Amino acid sequence: MAIIEVLKKISDTVWEIPISYKEGMRVPARIYGTEKLIREMDDAVYDQITNVATLPGITKYALCMPDGHFGYGFPIGGVAAMDVESGGVISPGGIGFDINCGMRLMVTNLTYKEVKPYIKEVVDKLYQKVPAGVGSKGFVKLSRNDFREVVEQGARWCVRNGYGWEEDLSFIEENGCIEGADAAKISEKAIDRGFNQIGTLGSGNHYLEIQVAKQENIFDPELARSMGITMPDQVVVMFHCGSRGFGHQVATDYLQSFLKVMESKYGIKILDRELACAPFNSPEGQAYFAAMKCGINMSFANRQVILHRIREVFSDVFGRTAEDLGMQMVYDVAHNTAKLERHLIDGKERSLLVHRKGATRAFAPGMADVPEQYKAIGQPIIIGGSMETGSYLLVGVPTGAQTFFSTAHGSGRTMSRTKARKTWRGEKLQKDMEAKGIYVRSTSWQGLAEEAGGAYKDVDEVIEAAELAGISKRVVRLTPIGNIKG
Amino acid sequence: MQVRTPLTVITGPLGSGKTTLLRHILDTVSKKIAILMNEFGEIAIDSKIIAGKNVQMADLGGGCVCCSLLGEFEAAVDEIIDTVDPDIIVVETTGVAEPDALVFDIQESLTKVRLDGVVTVIDADAMVKYPSVGHTSRIQIEAADTIILNKIDLVSESELKAIEEKLHSLNQVASILATKRCQVDPDLLFGIGRERVEAPPYHVHQPEFESFSYTTNAICDRTCFEEFADSLRTEVYRAKGFVKFSDATYLFNFVAGRWELELFEQEGTQLVFIGKQLSELKDQIINNLKLCEQ
Repeated sequence: MAIIEVLKKISDTVWEIPISYKEGMRVPARIYGTEKLIREMDDAVYDQITNVATLPGITKYALCMPDGHFGYGFPIGGVAAMDVESGGVISPGGIGFDINCGMRLMVTNLTYKEVKPYIKEVVDKLYQKVPAGVGSKGFVKLSRNDFREVVEQGARWCVRNGYGWEEDLSFIEENGCIEGADAAKISEKAIDRGFNQIGTLGSGNHYLEIQVAKQENIFDPELARSMGITMPDQVVVMFHCGSRGFGHQVATDYLQSFLKVMESKYGIKILDRELACAPFNSPEGQAYFAAMKCGINMSFANRQVILHRIREVFSDVFGRTAEDLGMQMVYDVAHNTAKLERHLIDGKERSLLVHRKGATRAFAPGMADVPEQYKAIGQPIIIGGSMETGSYLLVGVPTGAQTFFSTAHGSGRTMSRTKARKTWRGEKLQKDMEAKGIYVRSTSWQGLAEEAGGAYKDVDEVIEAAELAGISKRVVRLTPIGNIKG
Repeated sequence: MQVRTPLTVITGPLGSGKTTLLRHILDTVSKKIAILMNEFGEIAIDSKIIAGKNVQMADLGGGCVCCSLLGEFEAAVDEIIDTVDPDIIVVETTGVAEPDALVFDIQESLTKVRLDGVVTVIDADAMVKYPSVGHTSRIQIEAADTIILNKIDLVSESELKAIEEKLHSLNQVASILATKRCQVDPDLLFGIGRERVEAPPYHVHQPEFESFSYTTNAICDRTCFEEFADSLRTEVYRAKGFVKFSDATYLFNFVAGRWELELFEQEGTQLVFIGKQLSELKDQIINNLKLCEQ
């Protein structure tokens, strides 16, 4: 149980830990959540977010989203904006090992009634076409040099090579390719681990889901329509995955590089070595930034190939083209990145490196980088709940400035993977879910048990807290009917 | 009866000395060892790599192999046992991995191996530099049966004491072995294998540790032996070997107060005790053991 007494209540959904809490804190820490969510948070979150508050260059607050839980270095759900013009650092622990782990959502013009008779066929075929599991390899055969191109060009490479449509790119954060990715900054070992993994889901909490937008779960029909959700019981496809072994290796390589220079060369003292960092404007910091961007692009490419496979499978099962099935992208958004952005701080625009680890960018209407189609309504935000409980489509709001326009990314674990494995049995869970109308395929029973709905926070509570705090707005809640768990 | 292959997990934060420990183990343990890693580290150099379905293997000579994980862990372990049949499997996790799920998997689902122990390598110098023990490091420490507190030459004696206390507060049952460059007696890390009766391998003994062995053909009373195991004092860090009861012979494995017995095809009782200042307790331990003989 969390020690809620340490916290200063700012509002019903914002709680502050003052800088007096720990020596070395440069800014206060702020945790978002209802009192219930805050009470359920692990004590380690307090410790971790206040450690983050000691990092050089941190601006305004060290933030933790309502789905926060402990992670490597930063808590998952951590947001930290570093002023790069005054010694701000970049930290792999603030981005996560699965660089650009993110969500993608695509609509169809099919209804639940039309898909229901084919759900097993669709899921079984997707299970074959989108490899899942720890060491899974993709069907895209790439040489190591091809892979270097992929990590510099992201989803653009895919579209050029026949995986998807040109218009898909405008519905991806950074248009599917972040500039400044430099393959010269990644190790051979990272390439080894990544070059055959394009088009794969991976393991852990990654999944691909067929979902339904039920009439009663549409909170804002106007906004929903703008995002392509136009009819009752419309079927959509959502998936969650990242940069696989590649991103993991990039993060590991640079953690080791930073540990060597952090104190000896730059005199940075940190409380927890898992927060290893380097000044953003140092050769090491810039090298990681360029390598991390390769991870971002690899992940965009991975999701682009998966999207293409989903279109192929639907087209095969329903005997119509993907265009005919209206399989348009809604959006692709990352929740493990650090990006250089301009934000207004106390009336002055500043260049900040915003770390979002298990936190989703949530840009407001009118902001640059929001696709033209969404300029008037704000950036779509895709939230993956647990596979049993449902997911959300949200939109960014102007009051999101308080969190550098960031919101939650999922429901957040309340139970360790091990404890979940001890509590549930995958075989039984699959049967229970099938009884509830969700057909699940998984590469591992234990992996399935880890993802049981009961191992997660209540996603509805998380999303409500984010809305009450004014960092995102609900559009649609989506209900799963078919799931492939990595 | 199928004998389960002992499996030891080596974990610890980045740069704490896991690879150094593995090299040391390969240098000092004369058994067939299979090392399983997420990917080839620095161990597998200049060697022929054989690609399998679930693991890639590199021959290290002397029957030892280095394996890198390609598929699911369980399939990889099966493949290693089927192809090289090692005496010991050592799994090295990456420095950023949380080992608890892996440990749970090994105990729950792997039928061909027996978890011999979790060894966590901790960098003493880093424990001084970074006062807050990270989340992943904490899980690694909590999972340990043995903590190798490495790089002690970089810290003062009072710092070392404080680190030991901190580690103990996170894990009350693990034995803490202070080392430089991971120079540790491997007997303290591994259980006894089938070749125990053959010539003992060359060891660099920890100066403060002493060991003695006891052999008998007498049959032990099981209840009495279990009480004896419970009564072993904290000076005994490690005890292992075989003990013959009326029904069969069992493998006895004792680490820092915790112990287990497992059916084993072996004749007679043969036990080794390792611990601090053990010579003073030797007679007492042997006498207690003799009381159990029928």
